[in-house]
Amino acid sequence: MQLLINIVVLASIYALIACGYVLIYRVSRVLNLAHGELMMFGAYLVLACSSLFAGHPVMALCAAVILSLVTGALVYIFLMRKMTGEMVLAAILTTVALGILVRGVVVLVWSSQQQYPAQALGISNPTFTLPGDGHISLWSLVLVLTNLAAYGALFGFLRFGRWGMRMRAAGQNPLLAAQRGINLHGVYALAWSLSTLTGALAGILMALDSGVTGSMPVIALKAFPAALVGGLDSLGGALIGALIVAGAEVLLIYYVDPLLSDVVPFLVLVAMLFVRPWGLFGTREELDRV
Amino acid sequence: MLKRTLLGAIAICALTIPASAQDAYVVGLTGALTGPPSSTYAPAVDALGLYIDRVNAAGGVNGKKIQLILEDDGAQPSKAAANTKKLITQDKAVLILNASLSSTYAPVIAETQAAGVPLLFASSVCPKSVYPPAEPLQFCTTGFAANYDSQATLDFIKARAKGPVKIGFSAMAIPLSRGEIDYAENLSKEMGMTPVDKEVIPPPTADYTSFATKLKDAGPNWVYSWAPWVTQVRTLEALRKLGWQDDYVAWGHLEAESELSRLKDGKFFVVNSNALFQEALPIHKEIEEAAKKAGSKYPAATMAEGWIAGMAIEAALKGAGWPADPAKLKASMENLKVDTKGLRGGPIEWTKDNHFRTKLYYRVYTWSGDKISRVQDWKSYDVK
Repeated sequence: MQLLINIVVLASIYALIACGYVLIYRVSRVLNLAHGELMMFGAYLVLACSSLFAGHPVMALCAAVILSLVTGALVYIFLMRKMTGEMVLAAILTTVALGILVRGVVVLVWSSQQQYPAQALGISNPTFTLPGDGHISLWSLVLVLTNLAAYGALFGFLRFGRWGMRMRAAGQNPLLAAQRGINLHGVYALAWSLSTLTGALAGILMALDSGVTGSMPVIALKAFPAALVGGLDSLGGALIGALIVAGAEVLLIYYVDPLLSDVVPFLVLVAMLFVRPWGLFGTREELDRV
Repeated sequence: MLKRTLLGAIAICALTIPASAQDAYVVGLTGALTGPPSSTYAPAVDALGLYIDRVNAAGGVNGKKIQLILEDDGAQPSKAAANTKKLITQDKAVLILNASLSSTYAPVIAETQAAGVPLLFASSVCPKSVYPPAEPLQFCTTGFAANYDSQATLDFIKARAKGPVKIGFSAMAIPLSRGEIDYAENLSKEMGMTPVDKEVIPPPTADYTSFATKLKDAGPNWVYSWAPWVTQVRTLEALRKLGWQDDYVAWGHLEAESELSRLKDGKFFVVNSNALFQEALPIHKEIEEAAKKAGSKYPAATMAEGWIAGMAIEAALKGAGWPADPAKLKASMENLKVDTKGLRGGPIEWTKDNHFRTKLYYRVYTWSGDKISRVQDWKSYDVK
């Protein structure tokens, strides 16, 4: 039972991060290599908000979530918008530079020490015992539920929402979408906002569970194979990819060697590249574009 | 006219910069000031800077100021090598400090040995090359030390355990931590304990529960971790989440004091070679005041390592006299005794053959009731 819980929690972490990669790639064909840093920034925003809203943890958390959403939009408006029409590689390199900048800012503002947002907010992290002697902490449980809610909301939004449809249209054919009157900059800004939000949610919930340090972005790198395994342009694929990667990782840690946990996501990725390079639910056409 | 003024200004600058550099003891540091492992080193370097500022404000050493030049290597060996070369050839440093991961040691040692400049490991773990018989140019002030720490920890466990010890281990997947835990595993067998599991955890990890599950299922009644703080404490927290309620012992890094207060866990022990600030010694108050005055972003409780390094540097430069060169400084460091004023269990003493210390002292702390308390007072180990 505990192994199952471990797989679900780890898969939720990877899925929540991976959907951020997918959202931006699907809409703008850009791989956001600063996604891990933006995720970490969201976690640090909780610390900032905890001092602004001392004694009001719910308000602090809501403020951090809203600020993450705004951060994504600002990144697009002040940085990525300038890359529109440029080579995709230039945009990707810009995200690398953004990541370095965010890491530097975090060290300057919050230092390099381990920080505990839950302590700053004055909230605890009790553990629940589930049937079968499985254990899960409060914030891990919230993370699993948030992941389900985020995916549900994103599926609904992309399928039925007016802006969701615009996002899909812009992703499929930006020129035609623009000619039909869709505000491409608005769509891209929204994609960056939502992507940063999902990453930040993962960062915030991991930080509430076990703290945050400047090394958090490396975790996002392990979630990247999950997105590729599922198919970089498929939101559902990211969820399945995360489950496969997390399942392999947890089981190999338990039954083979803990040291494998670092390489498992990439082993799964290499295996997928041999069998189906465009991912489980990705489209072959998209791979050609990459 | 403007051209002549500019040329004159450049000439004055060219003359004055080297003059001011030569008028001070130049000490260069390469350290992990940024990057993932910087949480262990940056507070110590900050404290060292505070100590040097304090010495300079009081008139310096032998009437000369100490110029501390900091270079960030981000824990990358290539950067550490370039920093060391720059500090030696360009800045003419008489002493090089290393405050970084063990992966940076080889290139820094190579550069300092080629130039004949002493190298002090300050807040980075002491390599065995400073133990007797020591490498002539390498010295160390850092509190934690391979082999001795595990010996002290397992002695503590043996003394405290009421019955047979089934012990689990946790390490980070870096050479130093793995090597020490392998040593501890073998030592535990010699001491009559039963090792049941050893988890070597890659950094960083999204969720430690998977590793903790395996550790818990092996059924240990003690777990020992000697690793960077993040691995030690997250393994403990993951074990507690899984309902494991036995004893956990870890090395007391800079973060230990604040973390004991955060966790409030009476079965979590930290083995430490520095006295915690809750002892409220006069030297602790001195450090707290200096940190407060400088507006440091690091808590004073994380500054003992840097402060001790500063004490050793001051004493070494004093013994070297003025003007100091690397040879004079080395001679001074080979015959040094530094009173740590209670920050450690005894003085730091270096001899020609021993550049580590002649005696090591360990205390053990835990959370008890509503405060941190000692569960074992200074226990000494001879370094041979």
